[in-house]
Amino acid sequence: MIDSVIRELVTNARSHAFDEFQVNWEDQSHLVSCLHCLQHPSAQESGLHVTGVSWSCTGSVIACAYGRIDDGDWSTERSCVCTWNLDRRGLDPKQADLVLDVPTAVTALCCHPNQPALIAGGLFSGEVVVWDTSRTQDPVLVQTGMSADSHREPVYQVAWVPLQKKGEFGVLSACSGGRVLLWTVDSDLGRLVLNAAYALVQQQVPHSSTTSFKARGSSTVGVTALALSPWDPDTFLVGSEGGLLLRCSFSSQTPAAAPSEGHNATLRAPAVFLFRPRSGPVHSIHCSPFHRNLFVSAGTDGLAHLHSLLQADPLLSLRVSDSYVFQVQWSPTRPLVFAAATGQGEVQIFDLGRRSQRPAATMEQGGANQAATCLAFNHQNPQLLAVGNTKGSVCIWQLSHNLTEHSPRESGQLEQIANQVAE
Amino acid sequence: MIQSQNGVQGIIIVNSEGIPIKTTLDNASTVQYAGLIHQLVMKARSTVRDIDPQNDLTFLRIRSKKNEIMIAPDKDYFLIVIQNPSD
Repeated sequence: MIDSVIRELVTNARSHAFDEFQVNWEDQSHLVSCLHCLQHPSAQESGLHVTGVSWSCTGSVIACAYGRIDDGDWSTERSCVCTWNLDRRGLDPKQADLVLDVPTAVTALCCHPNQPALIAGGLFSGEVVVWDTSRTQDPVLVQTGMSADSHREPVYQVAWVPLQKKGEFGVLSACSGGRVLLWTVDSDLGRLVLNAAYALVQQQVPHSSTTSFKARGSSTVGVTALALSPWDPDTFLVGSEGGLLLRCSFSSQTPAAAPSEGHNATLRAPAVFLFRPRSGPVHSIHCSPFHRNLFVSAGTDGLAHLHSLLQADPLLSLRVSDSYVFQVQWSPTRPLVFAAATGQGEVQIFDLGRRSQRPAATMEQGGANQAATCLAFNHQNPQLLAVGNTKGSVCIWQLSHNLTEHSPRESGQLEQIANQVAE
Repeated sequence: MIQSQNGVQGIIIVNSEGIPIKTTLDNASTVQYAGLIHQLVMKARSTVRDIDPQNDLTFLRIRSKKNEIMIAPDKDYFLIVIQNPSD
């Protein structure tokens, strides 16, 4: 019997029978269209921008955070987080299903990967909050408050991180003061408890032979982008205001050369490897869900850089926009596709399988003088892409079939791209 | 020997009750494949025999976008091989 199986395997490997064979299980849409344009009137009246969008783990609810992306000064303006359930009948794009009031601008948002009711947010004041939307009374489940442990600078990224104990998640927050903190949720006390603390300082940035880097200005490395690797739970990537792109390790034991500022946990220096620095702040990094070594990064230089974790120079740099790029994200279904939100208000979708370096699709949200600030693919329903902009609205786009259906040779092509060595 | 063939991603041997006895994949995937495929093979076999009681299932192949699952049944066990033919 083993022999007959081996015979079949060999024949199959050589067979061309299914080469161009594709099956259509559903009606294919050939167009990219805007399904909904969600707005929260009072946020729009205050002129708030959408600073973050995140889909719940069920894929039905989109959570949107409001704030400002251009504020350099301390802001005392109130803002909110709104959620809409797109699968509910009677969806009103002008009326959110749930509005959470927040005392300051929200700068980061992330829905829990398993529990649909939990949303983590980072605020301009440096606080980190977790809301429980299933509670009717006070939706704030836990927060850091203004304790000695918390950040003092705006929190630009929050992410849920799997902890040692299986099934439990902690919240990782990163701020422009150069601190990356890992919190565990203690719902009994209503607090986020500091579990581990990392500090990034210029002097401890690793140097590599191919990149020349001179420490300049202040010694903190303000973190503006954070990405977790779905392949290696110990690795995380950090992008900074100064254009640095670093690979970091959770398990690093090196003490940080930074003042402790009253944190309860010892500060550690997590940086392990420095990639080629950019000329401006790095706004977004995302690891490929299909290849363990690939990630894409983008920032104010208008380019999207495709990197391998193994080398300092990028594998590929694509011009996305003539202005800033605020966020990039890989498609959850097509290994070669990623989307980028630009300062010109457009969302560009790139397909690395195409020969041309021009985008596969461009989505404009209409109107000049607005920027697309954030975007998120829906993992449960991969045709949906949510995009937030500075006009305070969130557009839900439905992507065409060719942007979402995995084609037969894609994984192989991605592997080839990853294995190139940059010149 | 099977492992060394082109594009083989995993091999599972399942006994007649659907319990995996040998595998090259991780535990969670093995348990998932074993349970789901056992049910499918039973259904395929009964389909073949209902159409013609003198006939019986000899081989089952499931081709999907990403790979192909081949199942060779036997009296005491099934042999499941997952292959990505384009590798």
